Amino acid sequence: MDRLERLVNLVVALLDTRRPLTREQIVERVGGYGGKEAAVRRTFERDKELLRQMGIPVLSENFEDGQVGYWVPRELYEMPDPGLDEDEMMALSLAASLVAFQAEGHSEESSSTLTSALRKLAGAPEAPGPVLGRGLEGSLVGVPLEPSLATIFAGLSERRSLGFGYAGLSRRVDPYRLSFRDGHWYLSGFDHARGAERLYRVDRIEGEVNLVSPPAAFERPPSALAGPPPPWRLGDEPPVVVELQVDASQAGFVRRLAGEEAVYETGPAGEARFRLEVTDRAGFRNFVLGLLDHAEVLSPPQVREEIVNWLKAIAARRR
Amino acid sequence: MVSTEERLARLLAVVPWVAAHDGPTLEEVSERFGIPTDELVEDLNLLFMCGVYPFTPDALIEVDIEGGRVWVRFADWFRRPARLSAPEGLALLAAGRALLAAPGLLGPSAGGDGPLAKAVAKLEAALGTDLAGAVDVEPGEAAPEVLRALRSASESRRKARIEYYSFGRDATTQRVVHPWKVFSAEGHWYLVGWCELAEDRRLFRVDRVQSVALMEEGFDPPAGIGSPELYEGRPEDPVVVLDLAPEARWVAERYPHEGVKELKGGRLRARFRVSSWAWLGRLLLRAGPSVRVVSGAEGVAAAAARQVLARYDQVTSER
Repeated sequence: MDRLERLVNLVVALLDTRRPLTREQIVERVGGYGGKEAAVRRTFERDKELLRQMGIPVLSENFEDGQVGYWVPRELYEMPDPGLDEDEMMALSLAASLVAFQAEGHSEESSSTLTSALRKLAGAPEAPGPVLGRGLEGSLVGVPLEPSLATIFAGLSERRSLGFGYAGLSRRVDPYRLSFRDGHWYLSGFDHARGAERLYRVDRIEGEVNLVSPPAAFERPPSALAGPPPPWRLGDEPPVVVELQVDASQAGFVRRLAGEEAVYETGPAGEARFRLEVTDRAGFRNFVLGLLDHAEVLSPPQVREEIVNWLKAIAARRR
Repeated sequence: MVSTEERLARLLAVVPWVAAHDGPTLEEVSERFGIPTDELVEDLNLLFMCGVYPFTPDALIEVDIEGGRVWVRFADWFRRPARLSAPEGLALLAAGRALLAAPGLLGPSAGGDGPLAKAVAKLEAALGTDLAGAVDVEPGEAAPEVLRALRSASESRRKARIEYYSFGRDATTQRVVHPWKVFSAEGHWYLVGWCELAEDRRLFRVDRVQSVALMEEGFDPPAGIGSPELYEGRPEDPVVVLDLAPEARWVAERYPHEGVKELKGGRLRARFRVSSWAWLGRLLLRAGPSVRVVSGAEGVAAAAARQVLARYDQVTSER
């Protein structure tokens, strides 16, 4: 029997049953599992994992006699009608054709994630119109896809807490928001040990991310829906208000980053003065030095001095 | 060669739609789901043998392919496609969000109440409770009118006169460019094209384009532009060797280098081709003590530091 045929029969058997089926029962009903018992067991385990990787909810239950039963509940398997009309479907499909997700060294595999998502939408009996996008010019937007994002997204959509290592500590976090900014994915959420909301850069998470609670474990506060802060507000330090003068050539860039409300004075040539609330002095220094001599810290004196001393130390170096 | 996993996934998507319609043509199905007709027929023929134990004719899915049309009956297990998996849901949502965050890029359909915004909202509702706005993607900061003008110049193949702040040379120049392609990578918008000033191919950051004026004159883009490398060292560029402290190892991950060597204490020695001293100066200013020049760029850090110190009225003597 062809492997595809066996897998279709397996899905049918798991969807068809009203009670969990043991491995023996499944092997008997599905057919196509040849060979010795150990080989049959391995093949079955592989098939089951493949279905789970595809997102098919293969549930399991332990029987009293030590056996395990498996089934796929229809209500968890079936996609509810998302209610997309033809224009909406086309817009989504166009968006999908313009974005490329780049997993490290696997750009092809991840583009098939979007294709398989669109195919599912196209497969609903009520789904309108043409679906798969025909990108005329190739992708427009490249977004990296870290392996842990899928688990984080599962936590986000089911409101389940996440467990992972970060900065040498093991964390338990209620995920609130996933944002892509400046080339990086950020997760914001409630850190149980710290008792406060924190921001994590996803590519700096150490090891695996695990789901560590049942669904609907927390409520997302409305205040959580703000994007990640600019570089000078990424930290935990007591806030310091810094006044920064920026030349016209860089003022537009700083305006977009800091927001219009941060501007308190504008000069005739387009130069501007900003008031920035700084909670991350290293992040601020990094940002302000990127502007070279097109910006100057006006106050407070100790922040100005920090920048000057940093620069003096470099000016004194030969290399 | 299509993997069994992909064949299974697409078959599970195709069946519900075909079963709900009265004999769509193979062509229609093939186009709707983006599957070559021969592969579609092969997979459908296999489905014909699937069903439940004991696989008597009444327990099998029925597939008829006749006169270029296809019917699927008795496939009630597959009355709906499978739910989107976590990676699929995230990928679709992120693609939608990425384009919504690029105002004007897709014309009016990408507006706040256009079909894409509605589609994303419906998708959020279908994928989880309380997911509205919980994923956002910022493909890059850019002035909407600049992005729109460059895209339009690129699509209509017209030259554009731009005012550009070169970060690498820290200078603003006027130049005429042939905008081949506008794209986003690593969280920034880029324009790649021919630059008449440099008489060479150039990559521009869209957020550093200060103004755009479309010209009457057209241009012909070269074939196969693809997505260019963001950082290109040229063989004629000077070699600079840097020692990177552990917290600065990212420099070797982000920029192409010509070899690295592990030093003790987690430090790394890396060789780079450097095309811009201003770029290197800025890197050294920001990194401070964590990046040291070993050879090839003596005095670059100190000169960059003195340039900024001058703005702070701090005159330092040259060594």
